[in-house]
Amino acid sequence: MAVLSEPQRISQRRRFLQRIPGYVIWYVVMIIGAFISIFPYLLALLTSLKPRNQIFSSSPWSLPQPFTWQNYLDVLQKNHFVDAIFHTMIYATFVTIGQIIFSTLAAYAFARMRFPGRDTIFWLYLATMMVPNIVTLIPLFILVKNLGWIDSYLGLIIPNLFGTPYGIFLMRQFFLAIPADLENAARLEGANTLQIMWEIILPLSRPIIATLGIITAVNTWNDFLWPLIITYSDDVKVLTVSIGAFQSLHNAEWNLMMAATFIILGPLLILYFVFQKQIVRSIHLSGFK
Amino acid sequence: MRSQQTNRSFTKSKRNPLDGSPQDGGVSHLSIHRRLSRLLKRETWEAYLFLSPSLIGLLVFTLLPVAAVAVLSFYDWGLISDPHFIGLQNYTKILQNPVVSHSLIVTCWFMVLNIPLQLILAMALAMLLNRKLPGVGLFRVLYAVPWMATPIALGIVWQWIFDPSYGALNNFLAIFGIHNIQWLSSQQLALPSIAGVTIWQSVGYSMLFLLAGLQGIPEYLYESAEIDGASPISTFFTITLPLLNPTLFFVLVTEVINSFQIFDIVYAMTKGGPGDSTNVFTFYIYRQAFEFFHTGYAAALSMVLFLILIVVTLAQALYFRKRIVYDIS
Repeated sequence: MAVLSEPQRISQRRRFLQRIPGYVIWYVVMIIGAFISIFPYLLALLTSLKPRNQIFSSSPWSLPQPFTWQNYLDVLQKNHFVDAIFHTMIYATFVTIGQIIFSTLAAYAFARMRFPGRDTIFWLYLATMMVPNIVTLIPLFILVKNLGWIDSYLGLIIPNLFGTPYGIFLMRQFFLAIPADLENAARLEGANTLQIMWEIILPLSRPIIATLGIITAVNTWNDFLWPLIITYSDDVKVLTVSIGAFQSLHNAEWNLMMAATFIILGPLLILYFVFQKQIVRSIHLSGFK
Repeated sequence: MRSQQTNRSFTKSKRNPLDGSPQDGGVSHLSIHRRLSRLLKRETWEAYLFLSPSLIGLLVFTLLPVAAVAVLSFYDWGLISDPHFIGLQNYTKILQNPVVSHSLIVTCWFMVLNIPLQLILAMALAMLLNRKLPGVGLFRVLYAVPWMATPIALGIVWQWIFDPSYGALNNFLAIFGIHNIQWLSSQQLALPSIAGVTIWQSVGYSMLFLLAGLQGIPEYLYESAEIDGASPISTFFTITLPLLNPTLFFVLVTEVINSFQIFDIVYAMTKGGPGDSTNVFTFYIYRQAFEFFHTGYAAALSMVLFLILIVVTLAQALYFRKRIVYDIS
């Protein structure tokens, strides 16, 4: 560290002092912004813990009086909400596992293997990322209907099972950054491709697999339109569809509605704070080149 | 990449001669060539094996449906009756139907309300958060929280916030003497309210992208600009903005595509109303297909949406290709 002369030190100190108002303003703006971005969660949680009559008698920010879990009990006991949680978990688990396995395999082929048509096929994958869901929705519905999979796990899961172009793209970006030397060395030892994937690539790819897994699980958890058109009975209904139906029954019973929404949003909030590093990584990998 | 692959096969034939066909020692050009081509064949075979599940998925669940929707758009079909070919009639119906053009206008208006403001806010936030102060990491995390939230649930939470009599927003505005604004039941305010929720949900996500882009701009550019006495504003327009162009392009394309597809929040908050004021295009298609079962007509509508998105994406790509001239690698 360079030794500063007395005048330099004074001017540095003065500069710091001059910047203090700026820092204060910065923190104030940031805190207000942060509040804006999370207040709906706080409000939903607060409302979900209030008795019904308090909703219409005092300010939305008033504390619950008395504090009650009754709304959650009501929501969970009625409307097959517990079942819906279970169905959503099955849906998310299968789609996530499928996405990880099939995207990894395809991404490895794109990143490391040479075969005719590779670039064309990869380009095709990228192009299909731009096909809006709604475009394929009608034919998919007809297809699933003809297969007899309407209102079943098969119809829910199978069309989403084989990996998305996004997942493949994300994994490929990561694989390209792994040095090929390790694989080459393993090949010299006589390892085959599956062994190389299992023993070299997968251990190195844990972070990106975590990222892809979380993103897929969250997207599936949040998915609404496909389950909405493909399921109707309480045997396979997922949470998003249940809450849509719940809304039309209990419109404006905000204490119940907020308990129901927080059952969906709460787990995501926890997941987000636990895995934020993995989640932010997807942004760094998918934005560039 | 390619040279590495070739290299690998050469080393293999030199160092591991027993691995190949019995008569060859990996010396003659001919045998190396033959071995190489066999290796490549094996690699091709393996690659397609690895690709096959996702390729089958892509064919059956994306490409085939895209083709099917194109074919369906020339048919009159109500799912129950037998489909019959009607040529371009669905499309002429679309062109003549004022509800369609209204719905397209609503969608475009939604984008005008949503995208520019969101990009500006995201840019401002990214620049504010691109510094080393205590707590900056926490703010980055907090700002992106809404991005992962379930849209259908969010829509319901915001419905509560927008509630005219008991909601948090009107309750807050009452401090300033503003009362009883009908956010979601007024034809003028419903769409801006939905755009506001969309901005609230995606601004943190866009910010993270832009922040990653900002962090990729080398420090020395700013240092030399400072030495040259450039003002912060001119630094922003001559360094930050041009170098951020690819990131901005990416965020813009993503936002346009997402905006065209907005559905869940509309479904939760307004169901297209009041009147037709939030009847965005996706919602209109959904209704035609799955409430009224005008399957052929809805397929034609999907094709229209698809074509619009292709044109928009290409136009954006061309526009930005002209402008992305800086390469600092």
